[in-house]
Amino acid sequence: MSSETRLITKTRRTRRSRRPTNNLLSDALCVFVVLFAAQRYAVAHAGYAAGPDAREIVEEAQKRTDAKSQRYEGLLQVFDAKGKVSDKRWSFERLGAHGQSKSVLRFTAPAEVKGVAMLIVNHPDRASDQWMWTPALERDRRIALQDRSTRFFGTDFSFEDLEERDVNQYTYASLGEESVDGAGCWKIQSTPKEGRSSQYTRSIVWIRKDNYTLLRIENYVKDQVVRRLSYTDVQNVQGIWTARQLEMVDLRRNSRTRLTVDKLEYNVPFKDEDFTLQAIRRQ
Amino acid sequence: MMLLRLISWPYFRKHVLRTLLTTAGIVLGVAVFVGMHTANESVLFAFSRTVDRIAGKTELQVTAGETGFDEEVLETVQAASTVRVAVPIIEAVVESNLPGQGNLLLLGIDMTGDRSLRDYDLDSGDEAVIDDPLVFLAQPDSIMLSKEFADRNHIAAGARLRLGTVEGDKQFAVRGVMKASGLTSAFGGNLAVMDIYAVQKMFGRGRKFDRIDLAVKPGRSLADCERELRATLGPGFLVEPPSGRGQQFEAMLAAYSMMVNISSAFALFIGMFIIYNAFAIAVTERRSEIGILRALGATRRQIRWLFLGESAVTGLVGSLGGLVFGVLIARGIAASIGALISDVYGVAQRADELATSPVTLALALGIGVLTSLVAAAIPARNAARVDPVQALQKGKYQVLSAGESRLRAILAAVLGAVSTVCLLAPDVAPGPLAGLRAVFYVGFGLVIVVALLLSPLLSLALAKALKPILRWLRPVEGALAADSLIQSPRRTSASVAALMLSLTLVIAFAGMARASYTSIIDWMHTALNPDLFIMPSQSIVNRTIRFPPEMAPDLAALPGVERVQMVRDARIVFRKTPVMVVAVEVNSLAQTARREAVEGNADDMYRRTAAGEGLMVSDNLANLQHLKLGEILEIPAPNGVIRLPITGIVVDYSDQQGTILMDRSVFLKYWHDDTVNVFRVYLTPGAQVPQVRQRILDRYAGQRQVFVLTNGELKGYILKITDQWFGLTSVQIAVAVLVAILGIVNTLTVSITDRRRELGVLKAVGGLRGQIRRTIWIEALSIAAIGLVLGFALGAINLYYILQIVHHDISGLRLDYEFPIGTVLALVPTMLGAAFVAAIWPAESAVRGSLVEALEYE
Repeated sequence: MSSETRLITKTRRTRRSRRPTNNLLSDALCVFVVLFAAQRYAVAHAGYAAGPDAREIVEEAQKRTDAKSQRYEGLLQVFDAKGKVSDKRWSFERLGAHGQSKSVLRFTAPAEVKGVAMLIVNHPDRASDQWMWTPALERDRRIALQDRSTRFFGTDFSFEDLEERDVNQYTYASLGEESVDGAGCWKIQSTPKEGRSSQYTRSIVWIRKDNYTLLRIENYVKDQVVRRLSYTDVQNVQGIWTARQLEMVDLRRNSRTRLTVDKLEYNVPFKDEDFTLQAIRRQ
Repeated sequence: MMLLRLISWPYFRKHVLRTLLTTAGIVLGVAVFVGMHTANESVLFAFSRTVDRIAGKTELQVTAGETGFDEEVLETVQAASTVRVAVPIIEAVVESNLPGQGNLLLLGIDMTGDRSLRDYDLDSGDEAVIDDPLVFLAQPDSIMLSKEFADRNHIAAGARLRLGTVEGDKQFAVRGVMKASGLTSAFGGNLAVMDIYAVQKMFGRGRKFDRIDLAVKPGRSLADCERELRATLGPGFLVEPPSGRGQQFEAMLAAYSMMVNISSAFALFIGMFIIYNAFAIAVTERRSEIGILRALGATRRQIRWLFLGESAVTGLVGSLGGLVFGVLIARGIAASIGALISDVYGVAQRADELATSPVTLALALGIGVLTSLVAAAIPARNAARVDPVQALQKGKYQVLSAGESRLRAILAAVLGAVSTVCLLAPDVAPGPLAGLRAVFYVGFGLVIVVALLLSPLLSLALAKALKPILRWLRPVEGALAADSLIQSPRRTSASVAALMLSLTLVIAFAGMARASYTSIIDWMHTALNPDLFIMPSQSIVNRTIRFPPEMAPDLAALPGVERVQMVRDARIVFRKTPVMVVAVEVNSLAQTARREAVEGNADDMYRRTAAGEGLMVSDNLANLQHLKLGEILEIPAPNGVIRLPITGIVVDYSDQQGTILMDRSVFLKYWHDDTVNVFRVYLTPGAQVPQVRQRILDRYAGQRQVFVLTNGELKGYILKITDQWFGLTSVQIAVAVLVAILGIVNTLTVSITDRRRELGVLKAVGGLRGQIRRTIWIEALSIAAIGLVLGFALGAINLYYILQIVHHDISGLRLDYEFPIGTVLALVPTMLGAAFVAAIWPAESAVRGSLVEALEYE
């Protein structure tokens, strides 16, 4: 069975086995792929093993970001250790409930990367399937599970950071409350359960108490913080509080990547067939 | 030690030149041994090191021969429970198009995951040096170079590099320079990295990978992983550590290594005779000295040890010199072997560094000293047996006694009989001796021993036979020279023996080369008869770039083209040996290049093979693997195991390790690979080769890289490779001849010293300088002539056995016996000329020697 056929089959299976939204992380948090993925990831890490409070916080955050679909245009800026900046633009479309959604990310600038696309198919019970399409080669390639810790095309995000993860795959601990940029936040730690593969040993998430939006995530490898994601410029878009700017800092490389979100829309009428390998090859 | 210091040292000091010449024999022998082995090891080491460095943290590799396998295999491997990480690889060797830089090893990797196994340290220590990783992946012209290669050629990131691709020459953008590290120094630093999917596109690799590198999950053993993958993937795949590739490379070079070993052994053997010669002469020359020592109370044992000690010192000094000289010449030989391997086997490697193995050096040192000791053993024994009274009598010691002659003849007859039995036994004897190659080699060795035993007798007989001729030529000088040879057969025979062995080696190589050329030319006339050959690379053995099959109908449609045949060849591992699979349209081949079967019925062979009901194998493969007509072969392939009978055995020189010919349909079914290495093109009657060739070039101009060779050009190319193969042996032949010349110089020098009294008397009674000079010259020429006769005779016998060894143990090729007349004709003036040159200095020394001193010697 080819990867493509498998994808189609998987997509159908996914639709049939869609789980209730309230068992999943909040869709509304996910306003663009990285934001979306990172927030999903972070919220999944947040969970509530330490007690019902942590769980309730996560569930509420998830509920408030719930959307059937979304679209935005993003500006991705990578600042290396020497201060050199490289810009890229992409368009992002997403369809489906959190944990089992499908996304297409397509680069639009600069010219050398125009048309390069990523298809991400999330699964609630396992790692996502990811494909990359390169028009100049007329080839798609599957991003293997083993490669998820690799940096996402030279940015400070990894492929794993693009995934949506199920809350049940983590154990949690509440670490109290703490202010971030003057806003009161709940501070929650999540740890992957045994058998759940992740490059991170644990993560700490800060969720605003007033509107349940994410403000910061710190990812740890053993006891060292390796990546820090910050959310700023939080705005209400179609009733969903959404950060319009994210910045991921790779503390080992001393580099950072900033994503600025533009033309954000929720609940856009997409078709399922727009989220297949054939579809990304066509465009 | 005392005797060595008091007796031997003054003797060496007095005969500096002779000592140097004697030592030179062992120097050359050891140098050839060290040079050839070090060069060979350097090439193997370079290949293994390239494999290691590219392998990085790879613990196991999945391969399926040169053919590669479908991309889907990667997911199967990645899904295995014991695999932590698995990444695909394609390796391609491309011409760098830069002066003096040769080939570039292009590593196609999946940049998204490969860093789990390899470190691609970028020059600034920052990935930003790749202007943009996404651009690198998005653009198929992206390439990363090793710092070594970039620095050597003054290439910086952002520069362009022109490389030949399946679509013709393309400009590649250098989008990264890798920091100098283990990886970047692979392949002598000529390393480049590209995205694997770009390599597939640019080099016509379809949707295939060459291999998968993998690391095992923590807590799981390599054995577990190997077991799981073998069970999952089936027998068509090899799962082994990276070092396995080095072993396959060694297996491929087995024939070449065997040649090197035989040559080295011969070189040392010849060196041994130089030593023997020198010591035999020294013993005779120092008989009076030995007699005095014995009279003063020295024991036989002390005398024996004195000479053995001298030989050990000579052997040690010569071996040390040989080590140095050998290492010096190894680099040149390694370059030559590297080029040869690249051209003959299509496996590129760069032996930029010499792998001077301590084991080889120690072995060479040991062999050098041992050879010297063995060579001196008989002279030392003779020295120990010297009777003190007889020792002071002059003149008789060079004579071969009737008893000794008889003993030699009897021994030679007995050993000759044993040798004959040994040589015939493996072929005719039932039971345990049948097919036992060791017995054959014992027999072969005994043939040489018999020749050596008989050489003094034969030298004497030939010298006697020569005497009338020499007297007829120069009554005085000829008679004197002949008498000198007849009266001192011991002195003459060792030199003759060395010369004989050298010539035997020359005849063997020349005969083998001649037989190979004749057989290859015969094969080419039948098998390679198309008018044109279309290839994607300049080298016929480079299978890096391949054509798509869609070109076949395009080519067939061109005016003047009558028939197009697609050929796909690839090296696979069959019964743990790398052999060549050649997939052709057998039906079409039967109509155009029909070959007679060595075994089997040709009609039946072609019909069944074309129908995919059987396989044809080359006779060398049949010999090496002991395959029989009708035997069912099991060939593991990526998509199943081929189980088909051998329908016929044919002569084929496509590969030294053997060839399996199958119909293209079988290959497509089991390898899922429809690419083409070569198109064989037949023209319509009356069509002009240059015009059709131009049409083909025009058809693909700017679209595809094509090289169109005419029939004559391809055959010339193959003969050039054959020349290269035998080129190295020419060097060995030259060394062998040089060693033989040294022997002659040594013999004559000793002869002059030995005959100072005789020469002094000659001068005293009015002998002219010219007469003395001519006497020495004639003596030298006579030694060369006797050596030539015996060398040619032994060479003729030796050639027969060497061809047997080639047939059974080296390449399996059945080469017809052809005595190399041309070489013989060239050797006669060469050796006579060399003997004459070798005689000049001794002759002058004899002429200019003081008469008073000569008589004082008495």
